Amino acid sequence: MRTSKWIWLPAAQIPIAILAPAAYGATYLTVEQAQQAIFPGEKLAAANITLTNEQTREIERRSDANVRHKKIELWKVDNGGFFIVDEVVGKHEFITYAVGLNPDGTVKQIEILTYRESYGYEVRNADWRAQFVGKNASAPLKLNKDIKNISGATLSCRHIADGVKRVLATYEVAFK
Amino acid sequence: MKSLSNEIRRARPLLGTLVEIGAAGEHAALAIEAAFREIEIIHRLMSFHETDSDIARLHRAPLLTAQQVDPRTYEVLSWAKKISALSDGAFDITVGGKLVAAGFLPKPENTEWPSEDANFRDLSLLSDNHVLLRHRAWIDLGGIAKGYAVDRAAATLKRNGVDSGIVNAGGDLYVFGAPQPIHIRHSEDASRLFSLGTLTDAAVASSSGYFTERREAGAGADPLVDPRRNTTVRWQQSVTVVAPRCLIADALTKVVRLAPRRAAKILLRFGAQAVIVDRQGIRCSARPESRRESPFGRLAPLVSGARKREVIASRIQ
Repeated sequence: MRTSKWIWLPAAQIPIAILAPAAYGATYLTVEQAQQAIFPGEKLAAANITLTNEQTREIERRSDANVRHKKIELWKVDNGGFFIVDEVVGKHEFITYAVGLNPDGTVKQIEILTYRESYGYEVRNADWRAQFVGKNASAPLKLNKDIKNISGATLSCRHIADGVKRVLATYEVAFK
Repeated sequence: MKSLSNEIRRARPLLGTLVEIGAAGEHAALAIEAAFREIEIIHRLMSFHETDSDIARLHRAPLLTAQQVDPRTYEVLSWAKKISALSDGAFDITVGGKLVAAGFLPKPENTEWPSEDANFRDLSLLSDNHVLLRHRAWIDLGGIAKGYAVDRAAATLKRNGVDSGIVNAGGDLYVFGAPQPIHIRHSEDASRLFSLGTLTDAAVASSSGYFTERREAGAGADPLVDPRRNTTVRWQQSVTVVAPRCLIADALTKVVRLAPRRAAKILLRFGAQAVIVDRQGIRCSARPESRRESPFGRLAPLVSGARKREVIASRIQ
């Protein structure tokens, strides 16, 4: 009988690891490493800008996305391109990423810098997010090192797509 | 010596999810770059959304005219047809029309709505990477192409000199070389994880309702079509398949959900094993007994080096 091929596991035998909220995450690249990954061999110069209220409104109008930070972490690349570090916050995830733009404003490459997920309230909490600022591969957050490969979470990257749309609108409005 | 001590990991948004690639060794950085490029190509070739993909061209082409596609697209279509035939249509890539109607996919431009009874038999595979549609059908490779992209990316890593690595496309993954611990999520509570043990040379794919986008679609539906009932259904459970290839693992999660009885035999045929997690508990399919059953030649142990109590999948025979 076909159904005999399926075996029920008694509840007592179920091996369960409880993952504490905010424990899962990964640090992929520092800002410097991302710069070299996207623009190998190029020189980059910091050129942070702060958006005016008018620019903020225009970016929100063009990208249909909220501007959370008026201060833009921007670098100018010797070849005429741009490098921007941005963050997006989803319902359960907090992601920082870097976007490299070609001199003509098209996307050259996107690299994720850090990824954190939480099933508590932490993601929207400024203090929780602040702990990721300045973290890099040489000073990693304390994570459960055994948990790094998870199946079963088809994460949408819609938030990143929306974030990149906002970055491109920022390019058009504020530093083209 | 296989070791992960010098592993690097990178992640990029691709295939509608976050793709993470880890590799160890002196060639790791360049190999990872090449693997991401391969995934980008597969994304472009097989996307439902992008207007210049093989799939979009096929949708626009007049009926009964042979279209040449990339060998990779042809390979995925061939596997899809094979799994459709084996599962008697429980797995079917021509469900695009239903997914568009339910709001999970955008309507392809400049195309006619597919016929209500379109199914995988309407797609013919001809020689020399040519395919044709006999009836109007929209093909969605969302249930299989991600697994294929993972396989190709892993092969690209190996070809570039990496002997230990992992490719994880939003939960569909392939691990090779040094064994790595793999976890699956609980379908009811995403913060709870199950250990699958430590795997190597194996693919794992999971499908479940949560985490998938509902968008405008009715709150009572997931982006899963039961072709034989011709409607979208809820996942209601999380299905994980461990298989020799991620394409197989990816596709068979749908077969397990939609045709559980038939699935048991199909899993064994492909040297695969399934774990179902739902409100009632955990179920496993039988472990593939003979490695020779695998159509892929030597099948690596599904579970190796795992601590005994961690092994969900193999302990109960």
